Amino acid sequence: MYQDVTVTVEKRGNKAVVNLEGDITTFAEDSITKAVQSALSDCRSIVLNFEGVEYINSSGIAILISIVTEMMKKGGKLLIANLTPHYQKIFRMVGLNQYTTVFNNLEEALAAQD
Amino acid sequence: MIGKLDMKKVIKLTLPSSLGCEKVAIASAATVGKRMGLSQDRIEDLKTAIGEACINAIEHGNKGKRDAQIVVVFKEGREKLEVCVKDHGPGVDIKSIEIPSIDKKIKPGSKQRGWGVFLIKNLTDEVEFCSSKTGGEVKMIIRIKRDDE
Repeated sequence: MYQDVTVTVEKRGNKAVVNLEGDITTFAEDSITKAVQSALSDCRSIVLNFEGVEYINSSGIAILISIVTEMMKKGGKLLIANLTPHYQKIFRMVGLNQYTTVFNNLEEALAAQD
Repeated sequence: MIGKLDMKKVIKLTLPSSLGCEKVAIASAATVGKRMGLSQDRIEDLKTAIGEACINAIEHGNKGKRDAQIVVVFKEGREKLEVCVKDHGPGVDIKSIEIPSIDKKIKPGSKQRGWGVFLIKNLTDEVEFCSSKTGGEVKMIIRIKRDDE
């Protein structure tokens, strides 16, 4: 299957950082979902790091909503870092900012209290 | 009307009806937007709107038929950029499309998808969904704000 995303997970303090690189589209669903599930087994707070992301489409938005739903079910907290100003606007438009905490960069997200 | 346009400023792309190909239209939108002097913010809006229109054309218009095509036409005017995305489907019945709500979609068991038309409408200045004998069409307009306005 065509896939244009790389997902890595690292533990930073008491948070898990899911680093995303590439496109967040329907093709990224399996990789991101598995990475978040793996991160959730170890940490309550997960930072999605969008530093390497250039393209998020509506299917990508749906994947993120599905992650939020999963996190809420498990009592987790989803933090967002390094979204471009355009995608920060899309997050506000869609309402994802009501269910996540958006930080300008990874350092700010890691410094946030649990 | 197309007849009144400078044909040098009409760009027509024919793309395979396959997810991922919308990125060709997005790259073209970035080039056209820059050439027309759109702000970076509006170029990003344009790219997302065109990408979503192409995805809808591929998934819903052409219903995933691999031998189908989508056509993207950029028409550059002095005051606006008009972009049409055409497919071979019946067109979008805009009245049947529910405005998505994050509060509903966040509930377990809900369908999370369905944001494409919402994004197109919110990121362009005007949008029109129409259909003809040849297929469905989405026409999007981005107005150009000059520095002297």
